[in-house]
Amino acid sequence: MNELAKELAGRYGARGWHDIRKDLASVEVDAIRIRDVMAYLRDEAGYGHLSFMTAIDNIERGAFTLSYALRDHDARRGLIVHADVDRAEPTVDSIHLLWGQAWTYQREMREWFGIDFPGSPRVDEEFVLEGWEGPPMMRRDFDSLAYSDATYAERPGRVTHDPASHMREKLYPEAAQ
Amino acid sequence: MDIKDFIAPFAVWKRAFEKPFTVKKPIDERPGAPRYRGFHMNDADACVGCGTCEAICMNNAIDLVPAAGREAKDGDSGLRPRIDYGRCCWCALCVDICPSGSLSMSNEYVWIDRDPDVFRYVPGVEAKPWDGSALGYRRAEGYRLLDEDRVPMPELGHAEAVASFLELVRGYSRAQAEKEADRCVSCGLCIASCPAHMDIPGYIKAVRDGDMDEGLRLLYETNPFPEACGRVCTHRCEEACSIGSGGDPVAIRWLKRYIADQVELSDYAKALPRGAAPSGKKVAIVGAGPGGLSAAYYLSMQGHAVTVFEAEEAAGGMLRYGIPEYRLPYPALDKDIGYIESLGVSISRGVSIGKDIELSKLRTDFDAVYLSTGLPVAYGLEVPGEDHPRVLDGVAVLARATRGEELGLGGRVAVIGGGNVAMDAARTALRHGATVDILYRRREEDMPADADEVREAKAEGARLVEKAIPLEVRDAPDAAGEAALFIWNEATMVQKEPGKRPVPEPIPGAVREGRYDSIIAAIGQGPDLSFIAESDGVPVKRFRPVVDSFGMATRAAGGAPVFAGGDLVNDRKDAISAIADGHRAAIGIDRLLYGKGA
Amino acid sequence: MRREKQRVIPPAERATPDLDSGKYLVMWQGPQHPGITGNMSLRLVAEGDTVVDCETHVGYLHRGFEKLMERRLYMQNFPLVCRIAVPEPDFNEYCYAAALEELAGIVIPEKAVWLRTLSLEMMRLASFLMWIGGQAGAFGHGTIAQWSVTMRDYVLDLFEELTGGRIYHMYIIPGGVRGDVPAGFYKRVLETMAVVEKNLDDIELVMFHNAVFKMRAEGLGYIPRDWVDHYGITGPNARAAGVARDLRKDSGYLAYPRLDFQPIVGTESDAYERARLRLGEMYQAIDLIRQIVDMAPKDGPFRERLPNPLYWRIPAGETYVSAECTRGEYGFYVVSDGSDKPRRVAVRGPSYTHAVSVMERLVRGVNIADVAGLMVSLHTYPPEIER
Repeated sequence: MNELAKELAGRYGARGWHDIRKDLASVEVDAIRIRDVMAYLRDEAGYGHLSFMTAIDNIERGAFTLSYALRDHDARRGLIVHADVDRAEPTVDSIHLLWGQAWTYQREMREWFGIDFPGSPRVDEEFVLEGWEGPPMMRRDFDSLAYSDATYAERPGRVTHDPASHMREKLYPEAAQ
Repeated sequence: MDIKDFIAPFAVWKRAFEKPFTVKKPIDERPGAPRYRGFHMNDADACVGCGTCEAICMNNAIDLVPAAGREAKDGDSGLRPRIDYGRCCWCALCVDICPSGSLSMSNEYVWIDRDPDVFRYVPGVEAKPWDGSALGYRRAEGYRLLDEDRVPMPELGHAEAVASFLELVRGYSRAQAEKEADRCVSCGLCIASCPAHMDIPGYIKAVRDGDMDEGLRLLYETNPFPEACGRVCTHRCEEACSIGSGGDPVAIRWLKRYIADQVELSDYAKALPRGAAPSGKKVAIVGAGPGGLSAAYYLSMQGHAVTVFEAEEAAGGMLRYGIPEYRLPYPALDKDIGYIESLGVSISRGVSIGKDIELSKLRTDFDAVYLSTGLPVAYGLEVPGEDHPRVLDGVAVLARATRGEELGLGGRVAVIGGGNVAMDAARTALRHGATVDILYRRREEDMPADADEVREAKAEGARLVEKAIPLEVRDAPDAAGEAALFIWNEATMVQKEPGKRPVPEPIPGAVREGRYDSIIAAIGQGPDLSFIAESDGVPVKRFRPVVDSFGMATRAAGGAPVFAGGDLVNDRKDAISAIADGHRAAIGIDRLLYGKGA
Repeated sequence: MRREKQRVIPPAERATPDLDSGKYLVMWQGPQHPGITGNMSLRLVAEGDTVVDCETHVGYLHRGFEKLMERRLYMQNFPLVCRIAVPEPDFNEYCYAAALEELAGIVIPEKAVWLRTLSLEMMRLASFLMWIGGQAGAFGHGTIAQWSVTMRDYVLDLFEELTGGRIYHMYIIPGGVRGDVPAGFYKRVLETMAVVEKNLDDIELVMFHNAVFKMRAEGLGYIPRDWVDHYGITGPNARAAGVARDLRKDSGYLAYPRLDFQPIVGTESDAYERARLRLGEMYQAIDLIRQIVDMAPKDGPFRERLPNPLYWRIPAGETYVSAECTRGEYGFYVVSDGSDKPRRVAVRGPSYTHAVSVMERLVRGVNIADVAGLMVSLHTYPPEIER
């Protein structure tokens, strides 16, 4: 395992190898190397299976962190490859030629996070959010509750009471002053 | 493909002659399984309206609403959960988390109506056909989302405890405190029951977050005696705690102590707010007990110059002279008082108002006066022989212990009474090597002392004599003046009026006696109002100054307004009530001085 | 030999039919919901009655679960996750709970391990029973659906008794399970298994020895072995192509390492083979349930006490927990930032690739009448695509 970490570090500048559990690890690479790293992992390192791809909005540091989850079925272990992209201009190389389902994930990330994968088939088509006009919905700064409150009416007749304030009102109203 | 592939499919026909799987009965005859998660039920009497069900509900399906016929009271908000079945997903997390265990689900799942608004109701309050159903989802045995057991407080063993005046309760470690704080559900039911209405959920959150400065700040918003109250408060909050409705209440008092213990006195100023700019006004406070000093703290925060007059040689009042050091060590009390003094509050020790200075002079020299003199005069036994030299006053015994004087109690001690002073006197006597009998006219469960105090007094070796009505104190035959006979009548409890507590009635002929070296009377205390002259204009009724909601007794011409509070005035007669009175009076005085309340 | 001839391997490139030529018919399958095929829609381009091109359209069941989870407490997501895949919610519950337990360093009691395994295998059986009805129904054999859905209901009766719910069981809670088995439950499990097994024998006879089913399913939707890695195909779809992968064996989670079973592997990799293989897995599930009933501990706690759910914070970290559901690799990727709510939860459902990339390619060259049967033979659940 550490050999792979060394190999990835030497070839692609990968860093931060972390064993999450005995059959799962993660490693970090520069986004610009992602296609090369994935091709290497698929063809040379035994990680032939792409479980899924997704992104995490690390809004605090202005980055989307991509997660590519691979599995080596023969060695029975998984590897999550991370790559940060600039949140202001999120563009990543497409890996749709490496795996037949990757384009769907890339289309999803384009719609949900606004991350672009130039060259990926149908990447600009709507995926699940038909007719959606808001910002990419999985971004942390899209407040789904505020959106919902603004878009839909509350059912009338709903009112609740905070026990502590209710008791203050009933039992010692003078303290409210 | 062979011939079988053409013939085998016809095997379906054999089913034509079999009994069908479907049943003809109407659907409402098919009850849900015994664990089925159907419509909610709530035992509205057991429910305390804490709203934890609402907090855990991820669907926002629960509202807390006032329930008909239920008023807010100690430990019950009077609210009950209303469930909106337009949102409920029948996950039953509300049942799993319910502190009192009052929520459950029936196995009923059919309810048809044309009006969509009926599918929103208050279980247990609005009657439904499935109320009282024996079947339906209940929390499984051994399965709770909340911890019903309190984190045990490390304490000295009883044998070790009684051999010294070391503090019994050792205090929580960080891990213990955070674990205990994690039991709280932040419902806030406790706040109403606290005389000072402390922000209990707030400071418990501070413990969870490990933010001691924030915790201390919240404590001082309503109580400048966190070290003392964290040890000896009567903790009415814990009786109201919703977690206590289905387990041990959260150890609110110990968590308060934990916060105060974590911050060094030298760091208090960093955590706590600064006082306002000097106002130029002067306030006199009579009595440096918790109530007087609480008023002093909040007045000084408002920028007023405060002088506190204390007849004793040390400040602290009953916290110092009435509570033994094994419950409240002096350094802890000194820390609370030290911080108040550090703000510029001046305490004139050994100055008795009415003897050294007249109240009228305070009214002339200051802009306002606060009386917080407490109840210094012990009640007597009021039986023949009560003046016997071996009959001692409980509060005086405790005060002498505080001063480090020789008590000379002797080997056998009787303590008469059932309050906290009685327990403290008994346990102090035990620590001086005496064997102790506690005699009380009613039963143990009627004792006004904290249950913990009674339990610990017994555990440390005190013998409890219940239903003992004092008759007489006499000289012991062979040791006049050295020992005494205490004579009492055994009683039986009689329910005289329904709904009232039973009354002890002497059993004819059942007269008992015991020989004691000391008899400590701890029946109760009264005020000393001798320092108040009629010309001061303070109205007094039934030995109590009469005050308004801010504690103001008079603003008669001829001097500064006079406020009063604490044991002198209120019914609760505990430190936290005195502190609350002091705070309230400080607000009242401040308003008056600034003309806000005029 | 005959089946090999029927195999068609559609080209990787999409056709570019000239829709203005008048030679083609554009038609939609779905998104009405008469069954699993209608939960999403296919835009089909047919020449005569042969499909030449297909585009999948998903989103009709998108409920924003992953977004919703980011603003709910960890425990509040427990009743939410089961809804991501309606016919087999328990795999969601398991993966979510196991991911949190791993991140929080919680070890669940032995009994919970077994009851979780029991719940998952019962779920597998119930889900396959529904699927086989859909598969037979897609080829016009509605009778089998009536039998199998009845059998599923008997299994759901067991779930109702164990968990208090028929569809959304909400049983596998972080820390363990929510209750012990009721008295006499195992006996009723075994009785139901006997009934289901007998019905499976009937289904085997009339469905798999059936000229119509064979003619329509054999050779349909042939998945070449080299597609398995390329498209990330898992579960019976991969095993029917001869790839012996089963996470129950390979990852050895829960009680599976102590159960006696071997992954079932096929060779022909067409719709008939996959159906046959799933039938085998139903018998296997019954066998596993019997083993579990035999071996599960009768005493001991069923849940580890967790901190107060209102404030439960999980140390920062990430993990991916997967399980072998009826359709293949089901997984939850959970990222914690140390707060009381997850930073990110991503759900990996096998249908993501089976129903989109694989389906779009496999359907080319297929008769319109066989599209539904092909789709069911991939055993797809659109909600896990859209989350």
